[in-house]
Amino acid sequence: MNNLQKYIYRQFKKNETAIHELNYLFWECTSRCNLSCLHCGSDCSKDTSFPDMPLDDFLKAIDSISSPAKNFTVVLTGGEPLMRNDIEIIGREIRKRGMRWSMVTNGYIYTDEKHNALLNAGLGALTISLDGLEKSHNWLRNSKHGFTRTERAIELAASSARLNFDVVTCVNQRNLKEMDAVYNYLKTKHVKTWRLFTILPIGRAKNNPELLLDDFQFKGLMDFIVEKRKRKEMDVKFSCEGYVGDYETKVRDGAFFCRAGINIGSILIDGAISACPNIDRSFSQGNIYTDNFYEVWQNKYQAFRNRNWTETGLCEKCGEYKNCQGSGMHLWHGGKENVLVCHYSKIVK
Amino acid sequence: MKQNHFQKIIRGLSLTSVMFVFQACYGTPQDFGYDVYLSGVVTSAVTGKPIKGIKVSVENTSQYELTDSVGTFNMYVPKLKNYKVVFEDVDSISQGSFVSKDTILISANNSIQVNIALESK
Repeated sequence: MNNLQKYIYRQFKKNETAIHELNYLFWECTSRCNLSCLHCGSDCSKDTSFPDMPLDDFLKAIDSISSPAKNFTVVLTGGEPLMRNDIEIIGREIRKRGMRWSMVTNGYIYTDEKHNALLNAGLGALTISLDGLEKSHNWLRNSKHGFTRTERAIELAASSARLNFDVVTCVNQRNLKEMDAVYNYLKTKHVKTWRLFTILPIGRAKNNPELLLDDFQFKGLMDFIVEKRKRKEMDVKFSCEGYVGDYETKVRDGAFFCRAGINIGSILIDGAISACPNIDRSFSQGNIYTDNFYEVWQNKYQAFRNRNWTETGLCEKCGEYKNCQGSGMHLWHGGKENVLVCHYSKIVK
Repeated sequence: MKQNHFQKIIRGLSLTSVMFVFQACYGTPQDFGYDVYLSGVVTSAVTGKPIKGIKVSVENTSQYELTDSVGTFNMYVPKLKNYKVVFEDVDSISQGSFVSKDTILISANNSIQVNIALESK
């Protein structure tokens, strides 16, 4: 992007922030999970003793949205959403309200029957996690049969033209070298979109260096994505986890814009109202059990809408701050004195 | 004045982008809404009573649903120009025995209602 394009994009972001339209709502509907992944970030912030949130409590919250945006989507997440046995009922209730819904799953119990029932209930988009070829995936997912089960989920999703779905992969030391093989594997499965993540040093990943890429490896991953995107065989992209300077628009469809709290909200397992579920829980703006959800969305979220407070630590004197604005909100933890990971610094070193 | 015009353009661009482009980092892609709500009731042509357990499917899709105890079915199916909806008795004789039937439907909007009476075998 040249300077003029960057300027226009900054104005665009400013305007989006001012409009503050709620388009995308995560519902952390359960904290139960059927896997115990090595990289799970949840154990640093989530109390798994929380029971699943009753559907009626969630519906009451979304019914407070007086005029939902045209493409308003509820994204079911967890834990593993399919641990609940009422997902189809949830989906139908959401669709009754003229809203859409989608789901993030590890695919472990995504069977043929479940796929049919979810489509019948109006599932429109899906994300499935696959963390490498069989050995690497099963290692990271801590499961003997994880790969085989997830493979079936991918086949089912790919067989449905109605579903907009993608596969996500957490890149680490073990699977980095097999990215080409994973790319070829996904092509054989007719996957159209593949999104790549790195793992943050939080939760169980904090003390496992095998999970984290060094700066050289990270840059190699960016180059890998650029090269694969040029082929136009599959929509390969880097997740929106951080600002990557000159790689922006080369590794994604658009430039970096953390929309957490701008267009993205969430209702967390304990009723807390926030933005993406991976954001530090101290950013919660209210609770559906004590506050009107939509009033909170309309009147709060100042820390998300004005990010000047992030101009501290590494960001304080960074020349790219005005384009990056502190990177992703999920990278600010604890006392918020410094960004947890700076993707930009990894590529300019 | 010029600035107001500029702001309006930016706002227009913003709304367009919000409708189609973004995805949260740990979320799913957006749903573009390519489906239609198909619903109806299946009854016996002889008795007029609802039939439970009839398999309702749309040709060229893998989806199906079984009618419930009051003969109703409802499912979201991919958006197509027209639909060949197939009704099959798949539970042997437990609810009586009925002749399969299919019908061609045209999608005019986002929902289709179809009520079908099946003949006994």
